[in-house]
Amino acid sequence: MSLGLLAPLGLAALAALLLPLLVHLARREEQVPTDFAALRWLAAKFRPRQRLRFEEILLLLLRLLLVAALALLLARPVLFGGRGDAAWLVVLPGADVADAPALPEGTQRRWLAPGFPPLESPLPSAPVATASLLRQLDAELPAATPVTVLVTAHFDGADGARPRLARPVDWRVVDGAPAEPSATPPGEFALAIRHAPEADAALPYLRAAVAAWQAVAEAPAADVNADADANAVVVERGSAEPIDVAGLDAALPERTRPLAWLAPGELPVPVLAWAREGGTALLASQATWPLAEAGAVVWRDDAGQPLARAAVLGRGRVVQLTRALNPAAMPALLQPDFPRQLRALLEPAPPAPTRASAAAYAPMPGGPSFPETPRDVSPWLLWLVAALFALERWVASGRRGVAA
Amino acid sequence: MSGPDFIPADVRARLKALRLHGRRAAGGHGFGQHASRSRGAGLEFAQYRAYEQGDEPRQVDWKLYARSDRFFVRESERDSPLTAWVVVDATASMAQGDAARPRWSRLDAARALAACVFELALRQGDRFGLAVIGGDGLRLVPAGSGLRQRDRCLLELQGVRAHGQWPEESKLRPLWERIGAGHLAVLVSDDFDEAAVTLAERLSAARREVLNVQVLTAEERDFPFRGGRRFRDAESGAEMLSDAPSARAGFIAAFAQARRELAVRLAASGVQRTEYFLDEALDQPLRRLFAPQAADRA
Repeated sequence: MSLGLLAPLGLAALAALLLPLLVHLARREEQVPTDFAALRWLAAKFRPRQRLRFEEILLLLLRLLLVAALALLLARPVLFGGRGDAAWLVVLPGADVADAPALPEGTQRRWLAPGFPPLESPLPSAPVATASLLRQLDAELPAATPVTVLVTAHFDGADGARPRLARPVDWRVVDGAPAEPSATPPGEFALAIRHAPEADAALPYLRAAVAAWQAVAEAPAADVNADADANAVVVERGSAEPIDVAGLDAALPERTRPLAWLAPGELPVPVLAWAREGGTALLASQATWPLAEAGAVVWRDDAGQPLARAAVLGRGRVVQLTRALNPAAMPALLQPDFPRQLRALLEPAPPAPTRASAAAYAPMPGGPSFPETPRDVSPWLLWLVAALFALERWVASGRRGVAA
Repeated sequence: MSGPDFIPADVRARLKALRLHGRRAAGGHGFGQHASRSRGAGLEFAQYRAYEQGDEPRQVDWKLYARSDRFFVRESERDSPLTAWVVVDATASMAQGDAARPRWSRLDAARALAACVFELALRQGDRFGLAVIGGDGLRLVPAGSGLRQRDRCLLELQGVRAHGQWPEESKLRPLWERIGAGHLAVLVSDDFDEAAVTLAERLSAARREVLNVQVLTAEERDFPFRGGRRFRDAESGAEMLSDAPSARAGFIAAFAQARRELAVRLAASGVQRTEYFLDEALDQPLRRLFAPQAADRA
């Protein structure tokens, strides 16, 4: 355990130690005025001696300590080590703790969950980023601490690479079922359209695309391409109203449903706010791009010309078609894969697979070792300063009381 | 200060043993208790002298006439009254006292000593008066006798505040008009003013009987100060920084030497002098000045 300073220049404040010293010296220099009529028999050669004498040593010491503690506080002291080298047992939520090997007394038993809560605390329910937590644990623990990990045969939270840790880890696969991620059901993908009157011409193509999505959802086995021709009948047939077509001043849909904004000019403020809070907006080519940067091209035609660009806006996205929605400007409208392309534009990317087999995902040794994270001592020092200050006030006022 | 008449009870009790007496008591002003050099009617036989025209026949010693056939007049020593003056120094230096006893300054001691003298004089039926010399000049209570005279003097003392310096010579002229030849004058002062000492000398030279009580503080005797001090003279305003422990021995020696020289000088001019330190009993200096001497007791 050793003390380190994050800002050693703060120790320059130790110069303030001179202040209490001066305060306690200053009284020494002033002379006690005394009436003395027999002055003429007093020899003038004896000047008062300038002795380095301090008054009220206890109070002086307290004040010196207080100033020193404040200076140390400014230097931001941190503590290295001192956490002990007790072994750690981390358990993946869902793994069977009963299968843990015999570990020495004083072993830290924690859940492999954010913050590493002790095993006595309730089982963390949310799925955890297992690999990331393993790396965090490896980086935070002192290098000598042995770590035992209990995992289930399969678990979620893996990422692209096997974790490479600085220490060898006792990796034990035990019984138990990992917490299942709450799989989001593949809900209906619907579209809301807000259009200006002059944009009516584009509506059939979008209706057709939505109808095609519906057809795929109802008959997954059917050939998508066969239904790709605009089949507006689907709209009337659907009970859940998969398409919501209205004028520009109609209410905005809920944010899970993409919005096609078919109007020229600036986006109105409510629409922008809607998109910022998590909505996905599809803009017609006449609309003004709401962002300063141009956005990334996400769809190109066969000739490589950009057809759509997209950008993140707040928590949502904006996608803009670069061509007018008519077959003359955009032949892709008539292509059989237009519904699929449109859906790909509007749908968020599916999550990456995170499930891994524990046997295959055992951490590898030889990872980078990190310098130990020091502990901040400032809160304790603050308490010390407060206590010293209270004591100093008490002693100072007590002395004065006695004098009075 | 204790009570309206300044005299503590124990001191008052001890005053009974004391008696004011003057070495030069002058006759001629009625009968009193003090031995005088003047001859005349009285109790103690002094001498016979030849009859002179104008002598009262009842003063002739007829038995002697029967033996000697000549007229002799019997004379005795006349007991005369005394006039006692208390001259109080009220310059600023008299306000000084000891740190150990903050409310007892030189002036307080001088008031009490003066009150004691008045008490003695009152008891003996003598005349007494008060002169206060301070920053205001001279303040006089003309000599008189009796209880009301004592109260007048005490009232005057009550109002005295120590401040200022010793006044000029000319302002003290009324003093010479009031304190007659042969009067007893008790000068209560710290004797730090050269003018005060000169006044005592000149009064003594002019046939006044002068007693001097030099009122000194215990600090001036012991110099008990510690550490650095800023000594300040209230009269001149002079200040001196000094380290008390180092200056102590030198001061005590120099001050004792000065007091010895003063004693020699005053004794040479016939002034009876005693010292009173503020931590002594109040009747000590009076005892030294007025204690019945062997010759008187006989």
